[in-house]
Amino acid sequence: MEAKGNYITQAWLVILLALCFGGGLAGLDAKLSGQIAANKLAETLGQVPALVPGADKGDEQIVDGQIVYRAVRGGEPVGWVIPARGQGFADKIELLLGVDPAVQTITGVYILDQKETPGLGNKIIEDEWRGQFVGKSAGSRLVAITGGGATGSRIDAVTGATISSESVCNIVNATLAKMRPALTAAGGE
Amino acid sequence: MNTATPEAPAVREGPTAGERFLSGILPENPIYRQLLGMCPTLAVTNGMQPAMTMAVAVLFVLTCSNLMVSLIRPLLKPHLRILVFTLTIATFVTIVDRFLAAYVYEMSKALGPYIPLIIVNCLIISRCEVCASKQGLVTAGADAVGQSLGFAIGLASLATVREILGAGTWFGLRVLPEMWPDWVLMVLPPGAFLTLGLLLGLVNWYSARRDSGSAAA
Amino acid sequence: MEYIGELILIAVSAALINNFVLHYFLGICPFIGVSRKLDMAFGMGCAVTFVLAIASFLSWTFTYFILRPGAPLTTWIWQAASPGTEVVPDLSILNYLVYIFVIASSVQFVEMYVRKFYPALYKSFGVFLPLITTNCAILFACLEIMKNVSGAAPADVWGLDKSLTLAIFGGVGFTIAIMLMAGIREELDLCDVPKAMRGAGITLVAAGILAMAFLGFTGVDRSLAALLMD
Repeated sequence: MEAKGNYITQAWLVILLALCFGGGLAGLDAKLSGQIAANKLAETLGQVPALVPGADKGDEQIVDGQIVYRAVRGGEPVGWVIPARGQGFADKIELLLGVDPAVQTITGVYILDQKETPGLGNKIIEDEWRGQFVGKSAGSRLVAITGGGATGSRIDAVTGATISSESVCNIVNATLAKMRPALTAAGGE
Repeated sequence: MNTATPEAPAVREGPTAGERFLSGILPENPIYRQLLGMCPTLAVTNGMQPAMTMAVAVLFVLTCSNLMVSLIRPLLKPHLRILVFTLTIATFVTIVDRFLAAYVYEMSKALGPYIPLIIVNCLIISRCEVCASKQGLVTAGADAVGQSLGFAIGLASLATVREILGAGTWFGLRVLPEMWPDWVLMVLPPGAFLTLGLLLGLVNWYSARRDSGSAAA
Repeated sequence: MEYIGELILIAVSAALINNFVLHYFLGICPFIGVSRKLDMAFGMGCAVTFVLAIASFLSWTFTYFILRPGAPLTTWIWQAASPGTEVVPDLSILNYLVYIFVIASSVQFVEMYVRKFYPALYKSFGVFLPLITTNCAILFACLEIMKNVSGAAPADVWGLDKSLTLAIFGGVGFTIAIMLMAGIREELDLCDVPKAMRGAGITLVAAGILAMAFLGFTGVDRSLAALLMD
């Protein structure tokens, strides 16, 4: 019985501390949450000018139940930036896909998050490899090939990381197949 | 039960602040001697940058927790003291986590879940239990700084080996020639285990030699 | 079929591909400390799995209904207090405090259970049972649940089924790893390990080789996904 009473009386310190800490943390949250949210947004929006040449900012829109960014320059739409994710070799890959307003050509690819093998699959984040996607047609399925010399709708895979390269192509293909009709319709408005 | 009676000599209170500080760096090094805090040691040492960010985070959390626990040590009761420690640590870890997300977002993403895992880092709870709940503010603070320095040294030694061999860089700067074939395994989990195991063996061997050398002398 | 496929993917990923010990470096302290004997290792693995199940259930409940931005219970109370407000209540700053409470309570509960029904096991565990509170694996499971409940798009929010699958099979993976290590160490006891490497040193090296073996599982989830979801 004394032990039980002891537990309750001892608990007052825990409860008091919990309340104080909770209050302190709430204050911290009020101060910092704006900055953190801005960081998260800047991560995606900050890439819009790089992905769609000539754009100076992106406006968030919901098309077909998915968040996309309409790239604008001075109020005029100059393209779309679509966030996409899919299975890579090791884990999920998240990327941003830039296309022109008519969704005919790919203007850029940016890898947001990946956990591929360092030194091998990791190379998909390099500018040089991603640059292959610029100018490819958005209508045909992209294929990653080994051995070099890729033209048309083919991409040179990273040496030693065929699956990672294929995964990126698959994600791009799937996203375009899903969003192209909806985006062309939305672009027409 | 653990408060020194007025007549008892001061040495009953435990090591002094200076002793606590110095012992934390090498003699009671958290990683190589106490074998505590292994989880972040293995996880974030694939580069010097994440390793040092973790070291700074642990310094902040350990110091604040030690000071806070030392402040409230007269109020601590035996049964619930571990809960009080973890509560305090969780609060300071939340603070660090939010600060990192607000001001160094990229590094916060790279460290991922390992910042919140500082909460269950055996090192911090152990210091609260062994030192802060029994000794004054200055000693607790010195202990925290000493142990954090030791932790940082351990992290740095591991991260240096892993980053240089695994990526040829140190702190992101290229130190090995381009033709070095990166030992990718070093920055992957197996490399972490192997490096820590071998470094631990090295430290043990060196200290055994030093002890036998001084014993023979 | 796709639903079962998703659960199988989460289970295999948590147990083998992204093994809690050998890939995420969680639970290293008990991994090194308790892996000397096979039966102790198995007991520890089961205890950790048990705690994982309870802790993940409680933390999912708290996160889903109270802590995440726009959680049902919090929104209801907020609306009742100040009706018609546009503000979305977000208590996720208290996540870590709540999780640590949940974990401490789960461990306490499991301790009482083991002491009542398996007193011999309780004695052999000694101090290691309460030390499960500081096992990173449990907090990590809570954090994964938080990531997939608070931080995911509304269509991708994890239900209790996926959270429990992750936690329990994560515990299974931990048990596999610790039992493998115990088997290896029982053999190592008969070997002539250099003095400097005895204890933690050789255990870590063996763990490194084990981790290399488990690296071979990378990419299995991709093929499994293709197999199960097509």
